[in-house]
Amino acid sequence: MANYGMALDYKNCINCKACEVACKEENGVLLGADKHRIWVGANDVKGEWPLLDIASAAFLPSQCQHCEEAPCQEVCPTNATYYNEHGVVLVDAEKCILCSYCMNACPYDARYVDDRTMTVDKCTFCTDTRLARGETTTACQNTCPTKVRTFGDLDDYDSEISELLRTREHFSLKENLGTKPKLFYLT
Amino acid sequence: MAQTVEQVEETGVVAKVREFISTIPYNKIGIKDLINYEKTPLNNLLAVLIVAFLAMFVIGVASYLTHGHHAYNITREHPWGLLIAVYIFFVVSSTGLCIVGSLGDVFGFKDYELISKRAIFGSIVTILAGFAVIAFEIGHPVTMLIYNVLTPGLTSAIWWMGTLYGLYLTFMIIEFIFLLKHDMKKAKIFGLTGLLVGLAAHSNLGSVFGFLNARPISNGVYYPTYFILTAFITGIFIAYIMMGFRYKMNWPEPVKVMLTNLAKIQGLLISILIFFVSWKMLTDVYGGMPNRSEVAVHIFHSWTFWAEVILAMLIPLFIILKDMGRNINGMFWASLSGMVGIFFMRYNLVHDTQLKPLQMMKIREYQLSPEWIHYFPSSTEIMISLGGLGVCLLLYYIGSKFFNLDADEQH
Repeated sequence: MANYGMALDYKNCINCKACEVACKEENGVLLGADKHRIWVGANDVKGEWPLLDIASAAFLPSQCQHCEEAPCQEVCPTNATYYNEHGVVLVDAEKCILCSYCMNACPYDARYVDDRTMTVDKCTFCTDTRLARGETTTACQNTCPTKVRTFGDLDDYDSEISELLRTREHFSLKENLGTKPKLFYLT
Repeated sequence: MAQTVEQVEETGVVAKVREFISTIPYNKIGIKDLINYEKTPLNNLLAVLIVAFLAMFVIGVASYLTHGHHAYNITREHPWGLLIAVYIFFVVSSTGLCIVGSLGDVFGFKDYELISKRAIFGSIVTILAGFAVIAFEIGHPVTMLIYNVLTPGLTSAIWWMGTLYGLYLTFMIIEFIFLLKHDMKKAKIFGLTGLLVGLAAHSNLGSVFGFLNARPISNGVYYPTYFILTAFITGIFIAYIMMGFRYKMNWPEPVKVMLTNLAKIQGLLISILIFFVSWKMLTDVYGGMPNRSEVAVHIFHSWTFWAEVILAMLIPLFIILKDMGRNINGMFWASLSGMVGIFFMRYNLVHDTQLKPLQMMKIREYQLSPEWIHYFPSSTEIMISLGGLGVCLLLYYIGSKFFNLDADEQH
């Protein structure tokens, strides 16, 4: 079994939002659901003119962190949220009762309501779309012009993502919460 | 032959159940008797209010069924709104009434036996009103009933809370039936079980918020314990209101004794609550924990927090301390104020938990992120909430006509 994760070379991000568009196209995200499934955050420049910290103005692409200890999974009363065999956090729409507890529990604001099914939806790492078709990349990775994203098997020593995490320093978001996120930001 | 024996046994069980149900004492009344109430101005006002609330409930539910959650002002950032607060308001009331009812028939304090039946019936109608409201907040209540059983999420506080409340309601109904039949021994057994299950359910409701490590303002042991304390306080407020309406403010001596004692207990409980809230807010503000202290400062500046403090804590405590709990008429009015305060307490709990954006930088370029999440309930949410109150009052009125909720003569 694979253990999927994603590394983001976020300083390469140019905020073209091609990843958001590709994700919407691939996963059928409804029009208007902006910054729901994946998004690109923009930091404000720190400091005062002329002492501006240009590096602080980096863009920070993000999405569901597919945590190893996902709070959204722990709080789900019907086990609608589950880990698949590859450690990807998914939602079984059949079982979702829309109590919205997961939306409140997710520290990453990564869940939203799909108005068609009236259940909670989230990033799936393209499990039921691209990966189901035998592809090895997610839509957001595939479309990124500056190669910000690298998706792959964290347990495979030879995978590109393992190589990146071995050779580059990296951090995760809100690590102090103990959620063990599987999105890694390369520095 | 075996089948025939089974059939005979089955018929025997059915007959026993039928006999059990047929011996539950109740008043044989019709709709005419329900409409024929004493036509005082206050009763007329209450009747009009109940009908208006029920009409709002119907309109609110129709609006929800037509537009779904879009009829509510809840958002992705603020997914829990007024209906969750009102659900909590009703189930806290239920647990509180269960505690007050248990003083007499479970713990054997004779002075409180005269309110046991009424309080236990109150605990049933309040939780039913809570369920009536939450049914229109949960997106798929039928799916919940199915998958709560088929694939239970045992790590979820909502699962435990919902399941235990279901059990609690069952025990409360059985206890009430035994109280009606004046079988005090069985009432005590089911009362004690119901009380323990109810306290566990209620504590779990607090832990729904306490488990949220994404929300530092609510995370921790505070809510699971504070919920039990505030439930007892709520139960005493409602005890005053129920007895005030029952005796039209002309208190018989035993009722006076009971309510004076309850007022003294209430004085102690409110003092403890003030101690709890003060230290919660002080540690939040001065503890300096990111995402907690600034939220607490924001809460200090909201009028709903002060409505909670003044209406539910300061006014009742002042009335109690002024005459050492002997001003029963004053306590009746203070209890009405207290219940409004308790409503704000529940609203604040839900809203304050979601005040702070999760700071994942979902902002447009060159635009500051919103400082606080704003929420104000929609008309549909308000109508369903008031409808819940209407359901509660109507069920209580019907129950008070159907059953003898006063203490039995033998007491």
